[in-house]
Amino acid sequence: MTVLYEAKNVSKRFTVGSRFSATGKLTLNAVDNVSLSIKAGETLGLVGESGCGKSTLGRCMTRLYEISHGTLVFDGDDISQKSLRQLRPLRAKLQMVFQDPSASLNPRRRVGDLIGEPLRIHAKMNHREIADRVSELLTLVGLSPDHATRFQHEFSGGQRQRIGIARAIAVNPKLIVLDEPVSALDVSVQAQIVNLLADLQEKLNLTYVFIAHDLSVVRQVSTRIAVMYLGSIVEIGNIEDIFAKPAHPYTQALISAVPEPDIKKAGMRSRIILTGDVPSPVNPPSGCRFHPRCPIAQDRCRMERPVLRVHNSKQQAACHFPL
Amino acid sequence: MLLAITRRLGQMLFVLVGISILVFLIFFATPGADPSARIAGRNASPEILEAVRKSFGFDQPFYMQYLIMMKKIFVTGDLTSFVNRGWKVVPAVFEAIPVTLSLVIGAAVLWVVFGIIIGTVAAATRGSWLDKFLMVLGLVGISMPVYWLGEVMNLVTQSRYHDTWMFSWVPPLGYKNISTDPRGWFLTLIIPWFTLAILYIGLYGRVLRANLIEALQEDYVRTARAKGLSETRILLRHALRTSLTSFVTLFGLDFGALVGGAALLTEVVFDLHGVGMLTYNALLTLDLPVIMATVLYASFFVVLSNALVDVVYIFLDPRVRTA
Amino acid sequence: MLEVRDLKVSFHTEQGPARAIDGVSFDVAEGEILGVVGESGSGKTVSLLAVMGLITDPNVVIEGSIKYQGRELVGLPAKEMRKLRGREIAMIFQDPMTALTPVYTIGWQIAEQIRAHNSISAKQAEQRAIDLLAEVNIANPHEAIHRYPHQLSGGMRQRAVIAMALSCNPSLLVADEPTTALDVTVQAQILDLVRKLQKNHKSAVVFITHDMGVIAEIADRVMVMYAGRIVERGNKVALFSNPLHPYTKALLDSIPLLEGERPRRLKSIPGSPPALLNRPKGCAFAPRCANRFEACASVPVLPNAGHDAACFKVNP
Repeated sequence: MTVLYEAKNVSKRFTVGSRFSATGKLTLNAVDNVSLSIKAGETLGLVGESGCGKSTLGRCMTRLYEISHGTLVFDGDDISQKSLRQLRPLRAKLQMVFQDPSASLNPRRRVGDLIGEPLRIHAKMNHREIADRVSELLTLVGLSPDHATRFQHEFSGGQRQRIGIARAIAVNPKLIVLDEPVSALDVSVQAQIVNLLADLQEKLNLTYVFIAHDLSVVRQVSTRIAVMYLGSIVEIGNIEDIFAKPAHPYTQALISAVPEPDIKKAGMRSRIILTGDVPSPVNPPSGCRFHPRCPIAQDRCRMERPVLRVHNSKQQAACHFPL
Repeated sequence: MLLAITRRLGQMLFVLVGISILVFLIFFATPGADPSARIAGRNASPEILEAVRKSFGFDQPFYMQYLIMMKKIFVTGDLTSFVNRGWKVVPAVFEAIPVTLSLVIGAAVLWVVFGIIIGTVAAATRGSWLDKFLMVLGLVGISMPVYWLGEVMNLVTQSRYHDTWMFSWVPPLGYKNISTDPRGWFLTLIIPWFTLAILYIGLYGRVLRANLIEALQEDYVRTARAKGLSETRILLRHALRTSLTSFVTLFGLDFGALVGGAALLTEVVFDLHGVGMLTYNALLTLDLPVIMATVLYASFFVVLSNALVDVVYIFLDPRVRTA
Repeated sequence: MLEVRDLKVSFHTEQGPARAIDGVSFDVAEGEILGVVGESGSGKTVSLLAVMGLITDPNVVIEGSIKYQGRELVGLPAKEMRKLRGREIAMIFQDPMTALTPVYTIGWQIAEQIRAHNSISAKQAEQRAIDLLAEVNIANPHEAIHRYPHQLSGGMRQRAVIAMALSCNPSLLVADEPTTALDVTVQAQILDLVRKLQKNHKSAVVFITHDMGVIAEIADRVMVMYAGRIVERGNKVALFSNPLHPYTKALLDSIPLLEGERPRRLKSIPGSPPALLNRPKGCAFAPRCANRFEACASVPVLPNAGHDAACFKVNP
């Protein structure tokens, strides 16, 4: 498989507060020197708790945010330095789907217009062609062609997410960054959308970056997974390898914290309950950023920051004492 | 804290300098505003015009004229009117300040007290006839023009019913000095206070009611109910307390503007020689020194009252303290 | 301890009355954890808010019977209800970010509840607040009582809310999705804490959630709600190992697992939960159910015993 997307040493800094506030100007390293590559046709799951930078990284990858440092190579093209005008043709190939479909779709426009908009901009189609393509897309995402004349408030949450997906695939993208696409949905509807995404991936040869906090959903959809903590990747590798034998203690704790609905297994799983909360990214801990919560932290972890290294000849983990 | 105050003072200075320059430039850019022509009178010969120009310093460059004027206001305090030769402007402003302050502070006390009572009672009885009655009353208060209301008040208390038991205590129009005649000061101001306050009582009552009803929908109010607190306590200690921030913002703006001269109409109707009246007369005659002095004074109070609002904020909302 | 019988909650809307809760009956026994699971709009929160007497909207009609320790709560004067709330029955809410009043310290807010129900001095109430914060594992409780809600993390805030709910030793604690807004690692801490406190205080807990996994971890008994009715109820082990109602089955099947073979596609339930004003006439789940037949046009009843489901296939 060829590499479709590559992020090299990407950092994104935000400044919070102003020079005039009591605490002064603070720098927040939302994404801190992240490198990863995505192969064509795979799904990379991006997981972590709130504030870990997974959504920020997703937005940097689509250049919704300007990166502070690093390079982004998409389909052989360095897109990190391109101006917004130069980016425009690439936008069609690089789409994004958001968590809350009702907030990302204009409520005053008909569904047909919403889905047709990228076609008008990128594909320069005429009305007839757009209408045909919209019907085709609606069918593809499991809606009916006559839904095109309705408004988004007439739809349920799951249907709205289908509209968001139809809009994203309208212009034949290669890569779609899905930011928590099923978290706002009811449990019974989540599975439908997860299946729809899998079907579309197969049919349209798509590559996904799937950002979510729900590990069981990520395990279902992803081929590879990257676990983030306070702006950095702490572990990355194939989904089977990581779920079978996590190398980083944070990954292990994260997986063990997910409540298991299968009560036959519930008693057998050993749980690791981490103490404390995720620290503020404004003032991250020294050394390994996970050390204050890590059950196996040692002196070295407090001083020296670990880098990603290969473990078990499979996944990479950033830990001095991998499991 | 000290830093915050110094910063505030700096801002204040900046605003004052900016406004004074702006007023100065506008004045000289206004057609027909040439002060020497005005002072020399109609049909004055060019020689006389030239002499006037020299004696008032209008032949000097703009920045020199500006600097001289600032020096005369702030350092020597002997700025004189362009219209009434020899009339010292700074003492005139200082004479007018106590009048305006007496009027506005008294009215402000009334409108804060009654605004809070009306808003709270209406919110507590929302939907009832009392709520509707209070809101209509508020609307009536907002809709009555202050000059009309003032004239009606005068008509009633000074002539029509002056000799009845109800209004025989009302002294004739004009201002009495608080230090020499405190009783007279109080009595002459009662009617102007209410006249000026009625608009704001209506406005603040309605705004507070809306804020309170919004606050009563908040989650923390539901928590307070779940704690088993009484409705009165929930309304006063939880909802009212959090609603006061917008109330205070509004107050800062209105109070600053009124002290700065916006109480003009009330001053005119009740023959109170305050800053509003001074500014108004100066504008009629395009008397730059007076305009300059009153505008500087007004902006000083607007900036000062906004600074005070910020201080009150710190007491009202702990989130501002750390942010 | 708590007996709810045929509870109906209706909202007046422009399109006529909408019945959010349609004949719900359940019991809570002393010291047990009852898990209430359902999707958005299933009525799980509304039914418990009705029990708490926290539905203040004048457009809402509550019918049926809610008995707490033999005492009827429906129609109880507000003043009497207030004495129960916070002392006998306490509640924890979903979002700890908004559940605390932003302008008061957490110590103040806990003391406020204690002093609303007990005549003790401010000093004693403060001491009790410190003890409570220590009990919910907040570090430096002496310092923490002076903190404002915005100075605490989400997990800490939820701990403070729990401490507040426990302040008067309630015999019934209603927890409405208390971990939904939290990260998984913090959720695990809070679930652990709730279990521990429930043992120490011997309170009964009604735990509302949409997450089957959370229910499986915490509950003794489970009740599954769909479109304003209870569709299945039973002992946790029985219900999870042998779900009877097609909705419960489908719901459990649609959750991706953390272990074992990954299916190429998840089993999913077609359609979405019905909107409040658009509920089907008979069995509300029938339009999405693979096993529906003629009988489903009328409303199935839920037998009031043991593990059972409101379904004509199960109880013809």
